[in-house]
Amino acid sequence: MSVTLLWWALAALTVAGAVAVIATREMMRMLLGLGAFLLGLAGFYAWYGFELLAVAELFVYVGGVLVLFLFAITSMGRDREGRSMERRLDLGALGISAGMGLVLLVALQSTLPAAPTAVGASVEDTAAALLGPLLPYFELAGVVLLVALVAALAIIGREDAR
Amino acid sequence: MTSLALACVLMSVGLYGLLTRRDIIAVLASIEVMLGGAQLLLAAYSASVTLASPAQGVTLIVLATIAAEAAVGLALLVALVHRGRTRTDQIEEVRG
Amino acid sequence: MNVLREMAYLVVGVPLLIAVVLGLGVRVWGRAAAWIALLGPLLAVAVGASSLEGGASGSVRWLAAGDSVLTLGYHVDGLSAIMLLVVGVVAACVIVFSIGYMHGDRGYVRYFAILSLFTAAMSGLVIAGDLVGLFIGWELVGACSFLLIGFWYEKPAAAEAARKAFMVTRVGDAAMLVGLAVLWRATGTLELSAILGSVGSLAPAVVTTAAVCLLLGAVGKSAQFPLHIWLPDAMEGPTPVSALIHAATMVAAGVFLVARTWPLFEASPEARMVALVLGTITALGAATIALQQTDIKKVLAYSTISQLGFMFAALGVGAWPVAIFHLVTHAAFKALLFLTSGSVIHGSGTQDLREMGGLRSKMPLTAVAWIIGGLALAGIPPLAGFFSKDEVVGSVLAAAPWAGVALLAASLLTGAYVARATRLAFFGPVRGTGEAHESPWTMTVPMAVLAVAAIGLGFAGPSIAAVLGAESEPLSLGLAALAVGLAGAGALGGWLLAAGGGAYENGFPPALTRVWGAARDGYGFDALVNGAIVRPMAALARFTDSVVDRQGIDRVAEGFAGLARGVGEMFARTMTGDGQTYSALLAAGAIILLCITMWLVR
Repeated sequence: MSVTLLWWALAALTVAGAVAVIATREMMRMLLGLGAFLLGLAGFYAWYGFELLAVAELFVYVGGVLVLFLFAITSMGRDREGRSMERRLDLGALGISAGMGLVLLVALQSTLPAAPTAVGASVEDTAAALLGPLLPYFELAGVVLLVALVAALAIIGREDAR
Repeated sequence: MTSLALACVLMSVGLYGLLTRRDIIAVLASIEVMLGGAQLLLAAYSASVTLASPAQGVTLIVLATIAAEAAVGLALLVALVHRGRTRTDQIEEVRG
Repeated sequence: MNVLREMAYLVVGVPLLIAVVLGLGVRVWGRAAAWIALLGPLLAVAVGASSLEGGASGSVRWLAAGDSVLTLGYHVDGLSAIMLLVVGVVAACVIVFSIGYMHGDRGYVRYFAILSLFTAAMSGLVIAGDLVGLFIGWELVGACSFLLIGFWYEKPAAAEAARKAFMVTRVGDAAMLVGLAVLWRATGTLELSAILGSVGSLAPAVVTTAAVCLLLGAVGKSAQFPLHIWLPDAMEGPTPVSALIHAATMVAAGVFLVARTWPLFEASPEARMVALVLGTITALGAATIALQQTDIKKVLAYSTISQLGFMFAALGVGAWPVAIFHLVTHAAFKALLFLTSGSVIHGSGTQDLREMGGLRSKMPLTAVAWIIGGLALAGIPPLAGFFSKDEVVGSVLAAAPWAGVALLAASLLTGAYVARATRLAFFGPVRGTGEAHESPWTMTVPMAVLAVAAIGLGFAGPSIAAVLGAESEPLSLGLAALAVGLAGAGALGGWLLAAGGGAYENGFPPALTRVWGAARDGYGFDALVNGAIVRPMAALARFTDSVVDRQGIDRVAEGFAGLARGVGEMFARTMTGDGQTYSALLAAGAIILLCITMWLVR
């Protein structure tokens, strides 16, 4: 019972954060919403028993990506523009989004058990997997990160090089 | 099943934001939401298979890749803002 | 000699090769072109001479569809050998003559290339062992005729004459093709020996249809009524061409065709009657027109048409060896007359008889040659024309008296127009510029060769008949005397007609002037064809172009293009440049694809 309650609380947190991201008109509130969403995700990973994943999520996303968003916004002075972001209700987009969600739901409905189950995996097993069968993809991910680093520098250009 | 529903809801929400928001930062944030929903789906799926540890490894790798994507997206944002364009309708390069 | 006899197909191969070599090197070959081209006809003479007793044959499989097979082959018999000799000798004389006549012409090499091609085609036609090869040669000589009539293609009259010749003979060729189809359908093969052997087993209607169709092809090629209108216009070509093609060889191909397929005609009295009627009308009609012409070449053109009519009449009464005999002698003296007229044109600078006169003293050799040819044409003994024409008239008179009488009248007129032309050109006061000169040896020697032939060939009658496998009838002295007398009377009349220097109005009572005027213009037949056929066709062509083509078909084609463009523009409007629109389309597309996939694996 408590397990399920915890799960639903996490779900509420995550969904609330997501809605805030898409709906709010103020930059900072959007960032808060994004933060809540990411925290909720980390919580879910932990609930499922994926401890390594949860910690990685916290470090990388909340600590990295979110802070990156914050830096980007504040260094460009966007946060001082007040109610700057518009939003609009777009029925077509609504239809497409709902349609996408429904289609995915229907397509994948048989692949998951009816109720969420926590299985969990140990860190040692994951490490063994990463350096074993998943080694190529692990290395490839490293390459992707390097390329992204270089790309980001190249895109920004020389004005910002310090 | 419920986890699937949750993941689908999150993805729909993110997609809506992607299609609708006018400010580039908001679009990037919506992309993050959408991809987060996908990761959640992946993690939930991992929880239902017999060998969970490779599944966790896969999700980890996906996480890293998406973080890289976010970084590049923000770099693009900075480049655009420096040229004075902050709204999506100001980007018109791929016009047919 | 035996080698030549066995490899008879060389008469086609060698001139063809020469034609290609000359044609490809039009700028390379200079004066040597003529001597190279001479090889073809000489080879034909050699093969023909060696095959008189019987020649070689051979064939290859060409096309096969199921059980039916088309073969392409050669079969040299006496008839082929005689024709090869005719073609070879006349072509050789013409080629040598052309060295002088075409000297300095811009298209010198092209001329001999086409002449060589013609030699190949004509040889192929006469040695063909099946109707396929014959038809190929037939069409090719028509094409060469087109190329040579329009040789000076910058001249609009020449180009038009070439087109006219091709179109008119096409009518005949189309009928001939129908005949070939009929024969193919009836016998399953196009090999001559097979077809001619099985004539007895074919239905009479089939035989008549095939024979008449082939006859129509011959009518076109030999310029008989009603397909005669192209030959006078064909005089736009160089005169040696007229000598070779439009006097001696190509126009004789029609007569040859009938002789070649004789068993068909033997079995069909209707076809023979058609030949007789057409031939007689042509013989008499063309002779009347020839009497009124002022262009020396046109006189000879209508004379050719008339003499071919004699041959067709002979065919019509069944005397095909006689027709071939007359073909041979006619080739000799008509080619002689044409070459002589070419010499006259070359030497005096004009083709109009009214501007000539007294050339006898300026061009004595030419004059003698012309007179020999003219006497042969008129049928004066002992020249060649006398013997062959006599046999023709004799056979026709015996079988169809009405036609025989008509031919006798035509003989009278023949003498008349020959004498008239002779007097106008060579005798009397000098009406022209007076600067005529004799022609070089390259032109006089061939004339001499042909003159000898014109004198001596008459005595070859029995030999020719023997080679063709027929008997020759002895001469009937009474008929001979009558014919000579008529010719002489006609000559006297023609001589007197020429007293006025060839002007039309001289010496005629007014009523006759109108008649003769009509004769001069070919009795308006050309105008008839022009109005009844050519103009409606041209109008139809214009209509098709402006209405059917431009408005109809072009609109449809452009409509499709416009439709494609419209659809494209419609879709292009989705490319707004707005990234979120693209994402929306992407997502929508993904949804649709997912639905399809799910539906497919349900």
